[in-house]
Amino acid sequence: MKTWTIALKNLKRHKWKTAFLIFSLAVGVATVLAVYNIMQTMQLELGDYLDEFGANIVITPRAEGVELNYGDTHMGQVIFEMENLTVTDLERIDDIEERRSINIISPKIIADVDVVGQKALLVSMDTRLEFSMKPWLSLHQETGIIAGETGKDLALLELPPNGVLLGFSAARALGKSAGELLQLNGKAFQVAGVLAETGGEEDGLIFADLGAAQALLGRPGEFSMVEISAYCNFCPIEEIVAQLQEVLPGSQVTALRQSALLRKETMDRYAAFGYILSGIVLLVTGLGIFNTMLSFVRERTREIGILRAIGFRRSHLLQIIFLEALFVSIPGGAAGYTAGILISRLAGPFLAQMQLQVPWRLELALPAMLLAVVLALVSSSVAALKAAALEPAEALRFY
Amino acid sequence: MPQMSHSLINVENVTKKYQSAEEEVWALRGVSLDVCRGEFLAIMGHSGSGKSTLLSVLGGLIPPSSGVVIIDDLDIYALSAERRADFRREYLGFVFQQFQLIPYLTALENVMLPLVTINWSSRHKREKAGEALQRVGLGRKINRLPHQLSVGEQERVAIARAIVNDPPLILADEPTGSLDTLTGNDIIDLFQKLNADGLTILMVTHNRDNMHHVSRAVFIQDGRVETQEPKAFAAACGLQKSGTGK
Repeated sequence: MKTWTIALKNLKRHKWKTAFLIFSLAVGVATVLAVYNIMQTMQLELGDYLDEFGANIVITPRAEGVELNYGDTHMGQVIFEMENLTVTDLERIDDIEERRSINIISPKIIADVDVVGQKALLVSMDTRLEFSMKPWLSLHQETGIIAGETGKDLALLELPPNGVLLGFSAARALGKSAGELLQLNGKAFQVAGVLAETGGEEDGLIFADLGAAQALLGRPGEFSMVEISAYCNFCPIEEIVAQLQEVLPGSQVTALRQSALLRKETMDRYAAFGYILSGIVLLVTGLGIFNTMLSFVRERTREIGILRAIGFRRSHLLQIIFLEALFVSIPGGAAGYTAGILISRLAGPFLAQMQLQVPWRLELALPAMLLAVVLALVSSSVAALKAAALEPAEALRFY
Repeated sequence: MPQMSHSLINVENVTKKYQSAEEEVWALRGVSLDVCRGEFLAIMGHSGSGKSTLLSVLGGLIPPSSGVVIIDDLDIYALSAERRADFRREYLGFVFQQFQLIPYLTALENVMLPLVTINWSSRHKREKAGEALQRVGLGRKINRLPHQLSVGEQERVAIARAIVNDPPLILADEPTGSLDTLTGNDIIDLFQKLNADGLTILMVTHNRDNMHHVSRAVFIQDGRVETQEPKAFAAACGLQKSGTGK
């Protein structure tokens, strides 16, 4: 017989209390694990989502003179003499080491055009890439130009070479609606659709197919700027910027911080909530274990007195109480791990209001067990110290 | 100086005071006592006379307020609490009032308790515990829980637990107090046999019938030893011939 035999037999004797201890630990571990697992998965999913939500790198030619503001980024005004971006530059972008972290490369040409005596800003690009990158844009009016089941998904838009899309304000200012013709620099284009009002700079723009605009402006193979959307859960955006800067020395590469900051802020809020919730649950669990272990010791005061009288040292009593805590923490941790993963898988998508694929994460099994062990040991420490401090004669007098 | 050659226990002017908020109670008021090796001593007295306190002091469970307790030439209260625990394990066997068996351990496991902290193999521990149970005549019910045993059998388990680690000294607190006369006599017989085997036994009892079965009896009243006849001590310790008795 060893000290662990006494610990194990005592736990067997108090089945309900033992079950309560295991259950408490399982709840504590499961909560922490579920919150952590959901947070982690959300961080990845939300990160991917935010990374796809707009460009986070903009490449513009180095320009001298007046700058034109677009997309919260300063770029060279195209009417000045400057070295424009070309197809060769796109090939260089395509060859950088961190290419795998880049989702969309969207080159565009921006120029002011004459619309029946008025000046307007024309933005031309590959509409599929552009609208994949800016999914918040939608159509207010259209002429049946969009493919796809919904008929409303701009990412599926095939804009014909002679077609343009008008921003909401531009359409109103020009007095044009879907289906009508519009003269740009003297060439006729059909208004294929009008974008819904965004309240942003898109409202005042005219969107055209990249090839058609290059032909119209007499700048084939040239681009005013390139917008890039990079996945940045694991890639350092600064690294991508540095690599782009290296291959495009004549250009200005700017990282847009908004999406990264937004993502960080959002995740920080979720994480803070998760940590607070986990902390509260752990505290409650710890108090439950603390009380139960203390009641174990109180009930066994005489028994402790006997053990001390027949030669058990204080350290032996500490050993017995801590072994009891250890024995309940093993099934508690295992149950907590299983329950935590199951909860995060089942409730994760509902709690996060996202399409989450929460994985079975075997690498969390050991931390879950360690959490249960540490929680049980820390919560039992007062009871263990109390048991060890009992004077044998006083304890034997206890009825 | 206490005698060193024949005495196993020397108690010198031991006092024990319990202090509460309202009053102080003297449980022992200058007790001096010698117990020689191989003696079967009864400490007798009325309820509240201080006899159980004396046994606890002798067993290293309650430090005295003053005085010295020497067992086998060792001042036990000069030891640290942990060393005193080791001393109890190696030198003393306790038989408590109402047996004090651990209810969720079998008879064999209860007897094995003093061996738990000793670095022996489980098999050796079981053998030792089995032998102790055989010695007290309880070889067949080793796997029963205390509540499945009669009170007499529980007492025997308690005695087996006290002797399992072969201590030179047994301290028994009212071992027959909760037994009927017949069973009580059986237990006294058992103590006599153990004493005949060389164990020194100190038994606290209020039953005057027991004094006929022991080698010596001392009486305690109001925390003082009332009678400790030198002749009786000398006789119990076999000192008449050498003339070195007190």
